[in-house]
Parts: sequence; C-alpha cells; structure tokens
Amino acid sequence: MMTSHDAIIIGTGAAGGIVACVLAEAGKDVLLLERGPALSFSQVGRDHLRNQRLSIYGHNAGPELEGNPRVFVDPAGNARTVRPHEPDYHNNAACVGGGTRVYGAQAWRFMPADFRMASTYGVPEGSSLADWPLTYDDVEPFYERAEWELGVAGDGPALRDYVPRRRDYPLPPVPPSPQTVALKRGAQQLGWITSPVPLLINTLPYGRRDSCIACKYCVGFACPTDAKNGSHNTMIPRALATGHCKLVTAAMADRIETDEEGKVNGVSYFVQEGGLAQERGKAEAHTARAKIVIVSAGAIESARLLLNSYSTHHPNGLGNEYDQVGRNLQGHLYPRAYGLMREKVFNGIGPGVTLATTQFNHGNLGVIGGGMLADDFIKPPIDFWYDSLPPDLPRWGLANKRFMRDNYTRVLHVRGPVQDVPSPEGRVTIDRAVRDRWGIPVARLSGSTHPATVVAAEFMRSRGEEWLRASGCERVWSWRPGLVLSGGQHQAGTCRMGHDPKTSVTDKWGRVHNHDNFFVVDGSLHVTNGGFNPVLTIMALAFRSAAHIVRAYFQCATG
Amino acid sequence: MRLTRQQQQTLRAAVDRIIPPDNYPGAWQSGVGDYLARQFESDLRPVLDDYCAGLTALEAESVARFQQSFNLLSDEEQDTVLRHIEAGEVLTAWDVAPCIFFNLLVNTTAEGFYTDPEQGGNRNGVSWAMTGFEEPGSPSPGSPARQPRWGGSGQPAWGGGHLQ
Repeated sequence: MMTSHDAIIIGTGAAGGIVACVLAEAGKDVLLLERGPALSFSQVGRDHLRNQRLSIYGHNAGPELEGNPRVFVDPAGNARTVRPHEPDYHNNAACVGGGTRVYGAQAWRFMPADFRMASTYGVPEGSSLADWPLTYDDVEPFYERAEWELGVAGDGPALRDYVPRRRDYPLPPVPPSPQTVALKRGAQQLGWITSPVPLLINTLPYGRRDSCIACKYCVGFACPTDAKNGSHNTMIPRALATGHCKLVTAAMADRIETDEEGKVNGVSYFVQEGGLAQERGKAEAHTARAKIVIVSAGAIESARLLLNSYSTHHPNGLGNEYDQVGRNLQGHLYPRAYGLMREKVFNGIGPGVTLATTQFNHGNLGVIGGGMLADDFIKPPIDFWYDSLPPDLPRWGLANKRFMRDNYTRVLHVRGPVQDVPSPEGRVTIDRAVRDRWGIPVARLSGSTHPATVVAAEFMRSRGEEWLRASGCERVWSWRPGLVLSGGQHQAGTCRMGHDPKTSVTDKWGRVHNHDNFFVVDGSLHVTNGGFNPVLTIMALAFRSAAHIVRAYFQCATG
Repeated sequence: MRLTRQQQQTLRAAVDRIIPPDNYPGAWQSGVGDYLARQFESDLRPVLDDYCAGLTALEAESVARFQQSFNLLSDEEQDTVLRHIEAGEVLTAWDVAPCIFFNLLVNTTAEGFYTDPEQGGNRNGVSWAMTGFEEPGSPSPGSPARQPRWGGSGQPAWGGGHLQ
C-alpha cells in the first residue's frame, strides 16, 4: 500500500513532534511515524526497578527488551550484543513523545560560548571539537518559542548572567525545599551565583493542562497530572488537531527511499499488526512517498537509519559520502557528589531538583568547557541504595540498614552534565550480522569521548564536593569519572551540522548536504552538546528548521 | 524450578543477615521471600541455577566452618560465614563464583526490601517509612494508592510460588 504526503517525519520525540506540528499547522499533509506505542500514565507505571532511571530488569517506555538489540564494543575491542535496559545500550525511550514522555524536563538553553567551542578553546588533538554554523543569537528566538509553546517554569532575571534573553519564562519556578536552603547558603559562602532550575513543568495550569502536584516521580516516570510538558501532550495533540497530520505507531522505518537519480522520495517502514506485543513475522511492509523526509529518531537511531539507507547512488548510506554519519557520538559524563547533613534536607516534595549554578560552564583554568551543577530529582530508596551510599559503608548488615534509616533524608546530592569534548571515534556504525525483530541491521556503538572530557568532569566533581562542604556536610563522597563512551538519554552529535560536507552531515538547517529535500532534525545535529541537559536546544532547533522548511519549500509554491 | 527445603531455610536466614531485623522488620518479615519467589520465576530465572548453587554452597560452608546448618548458627556466626564468602575465602568447592552469588544475594535482598510493595517485598511500605521516603498510611500526591492500578508493561510475570 502506497500513500503520498507533503512530509514524512520519523520519530515523535522532542524534535519530531515540533516539526510535525509546525508543518501541519501550516496546512501541510504530514505522516508522522513512531516505532513505539502511545503510553498512558498507568502503562508507564511506578515500577522502581524497571524505569528509565533505574533499569535493573527492564524499563517502562520502550523499546521492548526482546527483538531490539544493539552491539557494544568495549575499549579493549570486544563486541557483545546488549539489550535495551543494559547501560551500554545507551537507550532513549521509544514511545510517542520519545524521551520527553519520561524525562526530568530540565529546560536549559546552551550559552553563547557553547556554540563556539573551537574558537573559545582551540581543538585538542584527537578531538572533533568545532564551532556551530550558527550562533546563540540565531537560536535565541526559538528558545523563547519552545519555552512559551511547551511551557517552562523558571526565573529569567535570576539567570540573566547565564544567557541573554528577551522574555522571561511563562511560569514561575518550582518552590525551594530544605536542600535548596542549605545549598544556597553554601553557594553564598563560596561567592557562587545560583538560580532556580528551569523545568518543562507546569507550576501553574498552562496549555489547558493541570499543574504539578509535587509527587516524587518525575525523571524516569510519567506525570500523574500531565503537568510535565513533552511532545506527547503539547505539540503532537496540536498537530493531530489540524487534521493534516497522521500519526502511525508501532511503525519502524526500515530505509529512506531514493529514486533512480538518488533523490529522496519516501520511506519504507514496517507496521506490527496488533501492536508491538505481537510475535515477529506479522509485520506489514509499507512505503510512503513525500516531497520532504525528516529523520528525528534520536542520535543513534537516526544515524542507523541513514547508514542502512544505502543504494547505488549512496553506497555508504545517505549523507555519508565523507564517512561522517554516526561519528562524534556524545552525551554527558555526569559527575556527582554526595554529602551528609546533620539536619534533614528531604521533605518529599517533588520534583526535587530546585537549584543550580552555571558558574563553571566556562572560564575554568586548564579545562575545556565545564558544566552546570544542580541538586537532584528525588531518588526512590532502591535507586538511592544502588547509587548514593558512601563507598566505605558496608553493603549489608545493620550498618547498611541504619545508614538508610538515619540518612536517606539527610544526604545532599549535586550533579550535572559536563560539556563533552567529542571524539570522531566515539561513533555509531551498522552491524550487519545482528538484526532486530524487523530484520534490520542494528546500531553498533564503539569508541569513547575525548580524554579532555574526563578532565572537565573531574574538575566539576571537585566543585560538587566543595559546594557540599560549604553547605554544611560533615562527610562528602564521590567517584572519579572514567573515559567511557557518552551517549545515553542525552545522545547527540552523529549528524552534525556545518558548512563543509567533508566534516559535517547537514547544513545549518538540518538539510543533509547534497540533498534538496532530506533533513535530520534532532540531537544528531548538535556540533557540541553544551554543559546542560540538551532537550531545549533540540526543541529550539526543531522550531527553527521547521519554520525554514515551511518558508523555503511550501510558502513560495502556495503563494 | 523451586528451591529445596534446605535452600529455602538457608535463604531465609541469609537475607535476614543482609537486612537484619531491629526496630524495623528484617528482610524476611518485610516480604523479601515473596519478592524473590516472583523474581525466580521471571527476571532471575536465568541466574536461578547460580542462586541455588550458592545457597547449597553457603550451607556447606557453614557446616565446614561451624559443623552446623547455617540457619541454626548465631547471628555472629552467620555473619562470619557471609564475610568469608564476600572475601572469596571459602573452605568447600563452589559451583558458582562466591562473589557472584554474594552480589546476587545482597542486591536482590535490597531490591525486595526497598522497591515498591507491588513487587511482593517492602510489605506495607515498611522500608519507605523507615527511610522517610513516604509516611505509612499517608500516600503522597500522585502515589499509586491514589491512581488507577497499573498493569501490563513493565510488570514482572506473576505466579511464582510463595516461599515459606
């Protein structure tokens, strides 16, 4: 069965939902494909061992554990097949809304210097650090648009030293908790500037949806009052309301189709009849034609799809003439520190993350970049037990139990994403020997970030400990960061934008070099990934690319 | 597969040394056995042979060290046996690496004790009251008690026999 559309968008995450909405509201006929299902609050559930933050035995927002393998190559060169809930899979959720269905929703803009990393710091040997082909000022109006159209709670004036902005946030920040008070005191003693953390959370009713009820389940879970703003409850409903957007779930894109001249003209995909729970072998193959195809599947799956879409004209995959697709995979190392307070700092009021400093994102002697540091989302006790106990505490017996009893509410946490100094060897390729449930060759992940990232992470770990001590912690503990592949939920960089086709995959709009009508729009575009949670930048770029697509491809034609 | 009677006795005594009773219930009383019974039929099925081999070896270590079944030893003697296993200092032949078994025992006991009560352990949210994560009987906003029940995706397969 063949259908024909103005545009096909592959993926409904932070970027795909926005592009679908902007195009559909411009009256364009959009086919929006999502490999996973639409998940209700109760389907995501509250399983403490199987969620997108602690995935010991599974997770709660896809992909399914069976039939979706990847191959991970360790630093010694040993390859092994990994399942979606294992750490080396570098998973992001696969459902309507993508990662935004279950994210913590921190809504940071990148700073002006984040777009000019090579100019600011030079390029360390072995890294692919580069400037973006656009500046903060180019993106600023679209940050504002994302903040207002999806809904961000924050304190703009308090963040004035971090980035210039023309307009404040639409919603007030989350209220402080006892840990906020302690950390603010510590920061003041150190002379550090702090501010409330901006969050894509309704602190008041907004967008015809309810406000946050301060439960303990934000990151890794779905929101009980639908007050956490993601693609699934903001942009996609708007897209569907136009009547111009058709959303197909359980639809796995197999390859981007090209015509006899090598021009992109559609997408072939499988739809699992009866949903993803069905056994393999009942998939129905579809092809859809479109004037424009936009890949928004996340940094790993977008690269995989381009590489799997090889043909006579594109023998190395689409956009991969110069072996750039899949390189520079980056996410964030996440240094974290813990400290023990004499008094309780936990009051059970979620989301838990309240206060941050952007003091150390740049300007650190001997360090390339740096990162934001903030307190943490509330951790369920089993997550705390696995993650947060002092290394010298016995792992069992009364001492362990009594530490949990006495100190779960007295441990202060700070953590933050460190700007990745990317390596071209941290990358996604295709493993033709391993196939998913649809028979499609899977992503193979190899390499690591650049050693300069570890230097920055170690610097930030020390800042975290310093902050906790100044805040009154009697004991402080943390772990030294290691040289690993970074990716995970903050995955980015695999189809970086740039001016030169030999060192980048797309232009500054996300249009794949040497193609008229083929776009990548998601974290894959990020040349560098900031020392911040990347989602607001993914959203801003999606608004920007979508506006460009409407302007350049459709408005002229329709007058 | 079910645990033998001996393995069940060893397990019950062992989890209560990993998380012993004090002014709050220990692992067994709080339902860790029920949690494990479910997990042995689902997520832990692939490592069940290791788990059982470890319990049998733990019993053999106890007999070798104290000439007595593990579940009949004093708390201090039980801890001595466990500490030697943790350190890899074993007196008998093991069919599973002692450290692999010990990690499994510790991690799965903590899981049963601290995870959500829906999974069989942490009866009445006892560990959540103990830690201060939630006060008993007063579910926080949005907690499962105030929400529709969830099911389907993400839940372990039910149906494991309860351990006695």
